[in-house]
Amino acid sequence: MASIPTPGPEYTTHILPAPFTSSPLTLLAQGAEALVYRTTFLTPNTPCILKYRPPKPYRHPILDKRLTRARLLAEARVLVKCRRDGVKVPAVLGLDADQGWLVLEWVEGGNVRSTLDRWVKEGGQFEKLGESSKDGENKDVWEFMRAIGTSVGKVHDIGVCHGDLTTSNLMVKTTEGHGQAQPQKPSAPAQPYLTGDIILIDFGLATQTVQDEDRAVDLYVLERAFAATHPGAESLFQEVLRAYGESYRGGRAVLKKLEDVRLRGRKRSMLG
Amino acid sequence: MIALGLEGSANKIGIGLISHPSPDKPPIVLSNLRHTYNSPPGEGFLPKDTAIHHRTWVVRLIKQAVRQAGVKIEDIDCICYTKGPGMGAPLQSVALAARTLSLLWNKPLVGVNHCVGHIEMGRAITHASNPVVLYVSGGNTQVIAYSAQRYRIFGETLDIAIGNCIDRFARTLMIPNDPFPGYNVEQLAKKGKNLVDMPYAVKGMDVSFSGVLAAADLLAAQIDESLPLEKRLKTEDGEIVTKADLCFSLQETIYAMLVEITERAMAHVGSTQVLVVGGVGSNERLQQMMGLMARDRRGSVFATDERFCIDNGIMIAHAGLLEFKTGVTTKLEDSTCTQRFRTDEVFVGWRD
Amino acid sequence: MAAVRTFSLPHYPDYPIQVALFKDVKNATFLRSQLLEANADFDYAFIDATMILTPLHLLHPTFLSLHLALSTPPRLKSRTPHSEIIFRLHPNNNIGESYRKFGITDTTTSLIAVKLSLTPEITSESVAKHLGDVVEGTSVEIGENGEQLGEMCQVSKIRKVYKLGDGGKPKGKKGVVNGDADVDERKQMESVILGIMSVKGT
Repeated sequence: MASIPTPGPEYTTHILPAPFTSSPLTLLAQGAEALVYRTTFLTPNTPCILKYRPPKPYRHPILDKRLTRARLLAEARVLVKCRRDGVKVPAVLGLDADQGWLVLEWVEGGNVRSTLDRWVKEGGQFEKLGESSKDGENKDVWEFMRAIGTSVGKVHDIGVCHGDLTTSNLMVKTTEGHGQAQPQKPSAPAQPYLTGDIILIDFGLATQTVQDEDRAVDLYVLERAFAATHPGAESLFQEVLRAYGESYRGGRAVLKKLEDVRLRGRKRSMLG
Repeated sequence: MIALGLEGSANKIGIGLISHPSPDKPPIVLSNLRHTYNSPPGEGFLPKDTAIHHRTWVVRLIKQAVRQAGVKIEDIDCICYTKGPGMGAPLQSVALAARTLSLLWNKPLVGVNHCVGHIEMGRAITHASNPVVLYVSGGNTQVIAYSAQRYRIFGETLDIAIGNCIDRFARTLMIPNDPFPGYNVEQLAKKGKNLVDMPYAVKGMDVSFSGVLAAADLLAAQIDESLPLEKRLKTEDGEIVTKADLCFSLQETIYAMLVEITERAMAHVGSTQVLVVGGVGSNERLQQMMGLMARDRRGSVFATDERFCIDNGIMIAHAGLLEFKTGVTTKLEDSTCTQRFRTDEVFVGWRD
Repeated sequence: MAAVRTFSLPHYPDYPIQVALFKDVKNATFLRSQLLEANADFDYAFIDATMILTPLHLLHPTFLSLHLALSTPPRLKSRTPHSEIIFRLHPNNNIGESYRKFGITDTTTSLIAVKLSLTPEITSESVAKHLGDVVEGTSVEIGENGEQLGEMCQVSKIRKVYKLGDGGKPKGKKGVVNGDADVDERKQMESVILGIMSVKGT
């Protein structure tokens, strides 16, 4: 999460619940749902993410409590299930559902959105990515897309739908360490940034389901997020879908369903 | 430059004239007239009857609008009309009027996307430079953000529109349609205080209201005053749940859903401005909730009053004129209308 | 005197955790009887050391117990903060079962004793002295990072109680150097177990 920009003073300061109230924490992001901090947990050498869901002042307090609790627990249960089934997600280190906080394992890296932005900044052009470039100089970016498709497929395969698949919620893990941080030698060449493990984060809206419909909606949300943040990357996204279809039994059926969901999505604008 | 705008995608016909004096000056509303077709209580407005209503009023409103604006026909640069989205028959009746004027006065036509009309009018009135837009009306529920010459849809309803949900909810509870169902639900909600559980359905940046509507049918049956007291729906504290409580709960639930997806979009694009447009945008509770959310993010809410929130001809004239100034016109043979017309189909050539 | 390692949990610096480790314990029956009699002097979390996988595996329930004890009102599900530690270790909500699996039994020979310094008179010295007097066994020094906690674990027993199946077992992935396989397996298991303990009873 190193790539998340440090928020400026425009963010409202929230008072955190115990035991974090007076701890010196680093605010990483104010998402829509949660405030995300970096801190340590259980030992001073265990870096972690603290996700705090503050009460929403606009929401009726009863509704707010109900939603916060339910979502926090659903998120934690899904993450635990993923880890049990060997899917790469941040581990749950602790939580207090009534107080609205969840502590997760620290994952080093950036997200897909910033990674693609970087690729564009370094001269990549979505428009020039023809089929022929797949084995050429743009091989990395195609591989990267396939890794995304495969990761989403894995999660779906174990019966989990993410519910909010955006390019910010897909992380690219940069260092391959087994829990222990491996300090990078300063002289080491720049790590190829498109090749890290894809780690899905923010399971705040995830559900446990094996319905093709839910899986297709997951892909539809991701497709639209891609279109919104990376206009012009449509052909690249096709590669995500292709890899998804091949990643597990049932993947192809979901792609078929996705066509329905797209059509239905367009039907929605019928009335004025 | 001056444009005449004709809007009739739903149950309101709106005619307006706008002037864009020069690139740096704000647009001037010369006239803005509207007439609404109200269906009887317990019924929605049907396309056929609505089209008849629009045909009946269109000539009268145009004459009056031009007179009120105090402009001569030759001062008008283009005729703008709603191309879609909306209900077929009403759209057609107004498009026909636009075509007739175009031929009669020999003026170019500009077909306008209804949603883009709302967005551009909202921006012009509020001076919000680059807001996340929540467009909420009887037929639309969309969260929109501008990016690379398009208004991109970040989130929307997966089934029915919010206004449609409120209207049908009102119909189920036999709440009158005059002045409009949402207004009456809002007034009743002010008297409600007990929160009844309703399905809260947010999926990513999208929302779904069909569950709420289904729940409303069941709840309405349980609060029927002809039921014996012991069978009526009660709160945990044993209080009888009223119609007002249901309106209150409906608003608390569905508006929280809207504010939530708007906040998600703001967080995603990193914007602090939010602009609410469309008929439902005039709801005070929605505006209040949106304000609380924006305050938390150190941002601000921009809302228009009902002259511009509710469908009107000015917004069509304004958005049409913006497009006209980039050199775009609609040829007579292309001056059709369409029920389906997504916001992101329009090339926004007038913005950076 | 027993060797006691004091842990300071981030965010709860005012409540140090005193931990001692013993092997070749001979009087488990006596210690257990004192717990059953609810002898206030024996208010410790006595944990079967073979059931603790890693330092975090122990510190997690300790943190949670402290957190719940300090809430207003306290939210402990068992009698004391120390019994809560044992309770929090188990994946299910059965206190008796928690003691049977994670507490000491008459045959326990490796033991971890945890004491929360909830009041100022509980110090590492007082704990070291008392445990040295009452536990008949060999005190094992615990390093700064608690590496020794977990050295006596029986992985298969732990796998079974958390129903881990094969989850987290290394599958000969590339990149895992042979010597690291065990570390990697434990790390994977630990991350699942911390999650299981976090969501238990919710």
